[in-house]
Amino acid sequence: MNLPQPLDRSIDRRAFLSRTAAIAAASAVGATVALPGLAQATPKAAPAVRFNPALNDGDAYVAPRPEAVADPTELTIAEAAWLIRAGKLTPEKLVEAYLARISAYEGTYQAFNLVLAEAAVAAARAAAKRPRRGALHGIPLAIKDNYWTAGVRTTANSYLFQDFVPPYDATAVAKLVASGAIVLGKTQMGPLATTRATTPAGVVTTVNAWTPENRSTDPGGSSTGTATAVAGRLATSGTGTQTGGSITAPSNAQNLTGLKPTMGRVSLAGIIPLSYTRDHPGPLARDAKDAAIMLTAMAGEDPADPRTQGLPKVPDLISAATPVSGGRKLRWKTRIGVLPGFTDGTSATALARRAYLDTLAGISGATVVDVPLPDDWALLTGNAFNNVRLPERSEPFMPYLRTDLRGFGVSVTSWLQGALLGANEFVTGQRAKLLLMERVLDQLFDKCDVVVQTGPVPFDILGLPEIGFPIGFTTAGVPIGTILGGLPYGEDRLLSVVAAYQARTDWHWRRPPNPAAAAAAPAAAARSLAPTGGSAELRLSAEEVAELTQ
Amino acid sequence: MAPTPPTDAELDTFIRARLASLGIDLDQLPAGTTADPVTGSPGRDSVLASLRSFVRSTVTALAAYQLPAPAGTDPAVAMALSQQPAPMLYPSISTEWRDR
Repeated sequence: MNLPQPLDRSIDRRAFLSRTAAIAAASAVGATVALPGLAQATPKAAPAVRFNPALNDGDAYVAPRPEAVADPTELTIAEAAWLIRAGKLTPEKLVEAYLARISAYEGTYQAFNLVLAEAAVAAARAAAKRPRRGALHGIPLAIKDNYWTAGVRTTANSYLFQDFVPPYDATAVAKLVASGAIVLGKTQMGPLATTRATTPAGVVTTVNAWTPENRSTDPGGSSTGTATAVAGRLATSGTGTQTGGSITAPSNAQNLTGLKPTMGRVSLAGIIPLSYTRDHPGPLARDAKDAAIMLTAMAGEDPADPRTQGLPKVPDLISAATPVSGGRKLRWKTRIGVLPGFTDGTSATALARRAYLDTLAGISGATVVDVPLPDDWALLTGNAFNNVRLPERSEPFMPYLRTDLRGFGVSVTSWLQGALLGANEFVTGQRAKLLLMERVLDQLFDKCDVVVQTGPVPFDILGLPEIGFPIGFTTAGVPIGTILGGLPYGEDRLLSVVAAYQARTDWHWRRPPNPAAAAAAPAAAARSLAPTGGSAELRLSAEEVAELTQ
Repeated sequence: MAPTPPTDAELDTFIRARLASLGIDLDQLPAGTTADPVTGSPGRDSVLASLRSFVRSTVTALAAYQLPAPAGTDPAVAMALSQQPAPMLYPSISTEWRDR
């Protein structure tokens, strides 16, 4: 009998050796090897990325509103793409419009860690000379400062990375750039993605674009700077990461549509980690269509990230985010699950939630149904089980914890907590995640297709997709948002529901008024790492950061 | 008989010993409860208080957790059944791989 070759002959020895060589090369450059991203067997250069032809789908182009034509910074991606395709707008004019607003208002918003003005203009000019390939051609984006950008300082807003210049782009950035997008700058964030944007020492920096005069209004974190940049019309769209609500919270706080995809849908290669089982890269955008365009560019299998491999193909997200019959009908019949207590109370949020559900119920194909909380929901999604993520924080940072505790600034506590959690408890937490997942599938999703969320953490624990979007405003004019969660790889259905809702409402079209012009921001400020000073200084203590940490 | 819960002093010793065994010296942080004025790093007494609370809440709660067995399970086999669910780092990914 002929037997197949034993397994030892089928192992890809070449790939194994090349990974070993990459580690050896990294070791040879000294301290660089200690960086978390390089501590893994990552390749020395970003993997080749390919343009996704889905970005040239006709649904990706939307005729612009008149008010948006008058001011290019008001355009959505889809509208700007329509104008650029029609030859009525150039990438350079679009970039310059944003740079003018940055010059006028960045001093107030403090959305960026670094503005790449000259590089962005040069990229826009170059884009004009290249064939247009899709909807992101010439679109200026804000990139969260934990995404590696080749040759451009990437700090994660931490002392630990203050001088780190990555050798290549994060895969997600490389994909956006390969799609024609322009990196306008790196955005402020919670130090090491832990909380709302502050300096590493805890001094509040970035404001909510809707209340720029009031630093105490939470702008949402940790993707704060991206949210403020997009809401304040300093960039068309941008990237964030979410470990415990860091995309949906700032989107809800600033009237944006933020999409946290399923774990593995977007590569984490080249992103400074916070929790490797829970970090999700995704877009913060102005509406569902823009979120779909961004995710279409960012998503897909990446040889550098095993979490992305062996998963379902990325569906046609852009068509999914295109309303049917002006929003009178859902693209797919969908049962929308409502958790107990979602509309309780008389607050502005409760009223907005009721109106939101009423609007959904009025869309043909939508069925709003009550669903129960799965058994032990509060326990399995509560603080103790949420804390299972913390050793993932301490383990890759051990070299820093041994030598530079003050380098963690105001955020150090959760790293030390992670070092105290034993392997027994860690494994128990992993078992509990499976139990929670089975209950979510069996007890929630047997009754509905998407489900409202009262907080982002449960679906962050499970790696399930969520989308945050606006549903109203408080009497003080602060945005009210909500979060809808879906089944694994169900981003298309989530987008379809939000697209229909947004076709029937106008919350997502509202923009904050311009703040009083402040002093022009330096084009390449290192502002984030130093206290801002001033009499109105607001500073978070380590205890407050521990309370708010993602 | 359940062991007596540790005192604050015993926990401080445990925390310092655990961190020291990993090569982490809490004395890198400022003494007392006042944060470092430059970096914002909390004082070591504040950190120790937070870490004691963490051990008493998170570590204790997780360690005590027993995965439930189906209703009506014979108690004699419940503990064995609770060993069966496999730990999963990535529930959404593993769900897809298992083609649930």
